Amino acid sequence: MLSNIFTVGFFVSLLASTIRLATPILLPALGQIYTQRAGILNLSVEGTMTIGAVAGFAATFYSGSLWLGMLAGMVFGLFYGLLMAILSVTLRANQVIAGVALNILAAGLAVFFYRVIFGIQSLPPQVEPFKMLRIPILSNIPVIGVIFFQHNIIVYLAFVMVVVTWFILEKTTFGLKIRAVGENPKAADSKGIGVSKYRYSAIVIGGIYAGAAGAFMSIGYLNIFTESIIGGRGFIAVAVVIFARFLPIRAMWGALLFGLATALQLRLQALGIDVANQLMLMLPYAITIIALVLASKKADFPSAYTIPYSRKDR
Amino acid sequence: MKKKILLVLMIVVIALSFTVACSSDNSDKSSDKLKVALILPGKKDDLSFNQSMYEGMMAYVDAHPDKIDLKVTENVYEVSSIEPALLDFADQGYDVIIGHGFQFMEPLVKVAEQYPDTKFLLGTGYKFTKNSAIYDVSLQDGGYQMGVIAALATQTNKIGVIGGADVSEIYRGHEGYKLGAKSVNPNIEIQEVYTGDWTDTAGAKEAAVGMYDSGVDVIWHSGDGIGLGVVQAAKEKDKYVLGNVADQLQLAPDNVLSGVVYQWQAVLENIFNDIESGKFMNLTDDERFYWITAENGGEIYAKINDPKGWLTADDLSKIEASWNDLKTGKIDFSVIEEPTT
Repeated sequence: MLSNIFTVGFFVSLLASTIRLATPILLPALGQIYTQRAGILNLSVEGTMTIGAVAGFAATFYSGSLWLGMLAGMVFGLFYGLLMAILSVTLRANQVIAGVALNILAAGLAVFFYRVIFGIQSLPPQVEPFKMLRIPILSNIPVIGVIFFQHNIIVYLAFVMVVVTWFILEKTTFGLKIRAVGENPKAADSKGIGVSKYRYSAIVIGGIYAGAAGAFMSIGYLNIFTESIIGGRGFIAVAVVIFARFLPIRAMWGALLFGLATALQLRLQALGIDVANQLMLMLPYAITIIALVLASKKADFPSAYTIPYSRKDR
Repeated sequence: MKKKILLVLMIVVIALSFTVACSSDNSDKSSDKLKVALILPGKKDDLSFNQSMYEGMMAYVDAHPDKIDLKVTENVYEVSSIEPALLDFADQGYDVIIGHGFQFMEPLVKVAEQYPDTKFLLGTGYKFTKNSAIYDVSLQDGGYQMGVIAALATQTNKIGVIGGADVSEIYRGHEGYKLGAKSVNPNIEIQEVYTGDWTDTAGAKEAAVGMYDSGVDVIWHSGDGIGLGVVQAAKEKDKYVLGNVADQLQLAPDNVLSGVVYQWQAVLENIFNDIESGKFMNLTDDERFYWITAENGGEIYAKINDPKGWLTADDLSKIEASWNDLKTGKIDFSVIEEPTT
């Protein structure tokens, strides 16, 4: 019985699915590494992704260009990040409250604009999503080719961004300054590093990543927009950042782990494994929680995490 | 610090105002019409459960413009906000109040007892009072028909079904599907997945991709919010999919084989006739359940669209025959047990 289930085809399908499912978690998580490293906990990732999804979808629907859709997602993600930056840096609001409020606002805004633009239709408007891009030669390798090299372009780019993000944060002065304002804003300030400026940058970059991930959901992964299209992936991304101890490579493993658990539970259910489906559905979240608990013990939080900075405070 | 708290509060209020702004007002002020309030747990364009009722109700209003004065409220999802909403409408003197969803059951029964002259309708459930009734979908009918179609169409002898959560009508639909498929071929392999909710479009798509990868070539989905993901998977893998709630042919003309289509108008007509004639207050217990079924035309199946040519003329006549059996109530569904919840 078991040998019937665990065939090569099963694993190929499972792992390819894992990579697809990891992408919309990996992208916002990478963005949040900048934000959290700068000492800001931005819980509005979920909302930012929803905004990115509706912006990307509408832009693609009317322009016919998928890249314009990705751009629109990123631009709107940027603006939504800016809103969080104003609240948390300039106004020094409580970051948790600001993040939660922005999520509620985003859910309302996204549906409001979707309805204004598209009205109520019995069948949803659709776009032609990003096509699968077979990497020449590599995609023809049996097993490996199907798992790694038969995805759409955004999936590849998301994994490329792991290295890019790591490089920017660890090897550039810009990255160093972002880490400095998260670790010790007062010291950074005394060295002439504009704390507000770098925190603004870090939040806005997080917004751009989240907006791109949102657009990926509506025009890369699916071909429609629905109000709950993000389905909690933004929150998982925030958790993955902490699980990853703020390191891009580990964030990739975190996203893949969640993707694998989701892909696995869907397939085990389909094959009629005799476990209640409610328990199977818990699997990805249970694994995330366990991973979080184990990893966050060792997590080295930025010293100024969630603490607003003001020169006046002593 | 006060300023900031104030600002955050303002944002929350603005955010909430967007949600509230989404409730629409279709009422006008003539008094001889029946004042009806339709309370939806979700949005009227959710492509699913809410939208089907919204459209059914709108179709009924359009057909009887001089009878009904309709007010639609959306997004009353939390149980804590249901009772105030019901009380509010009852207080304003609405004649008929519709709570479209299982979670309305307890508060609706409670409020109905306090307002004995107001009529209440509950969308799926089992509790009622003297002045309330229940409308529901007998999804085993549609599910059975989909099972028959899938089993006849499949080339690999593997079919699938994907649903939201295994509750009430969805469970009955899935069981009906299995029954229908096995009536054609007792040895058929049926894969089944519940995604846990009706909104995880991406999860449903991934489940469908997994099924298609393992050799399944026809899938029925029983909740069309998630179903959109299944349709897209069918398109990508170029396999067949069967829809639910609305005819989804236009979404993927090469891949949508057929589907169950809900026609709530079929029972709304009866319900409002009973209300008008005064019979509503004297219904027997059984009569308080208005089912849309294959029999009363509340469920139909979308015209077969078979560009791959998997169905023979013989298969098509079998499909028609099974529908006739369903319409005349010849199929025995007593083997389906209610889920123990």
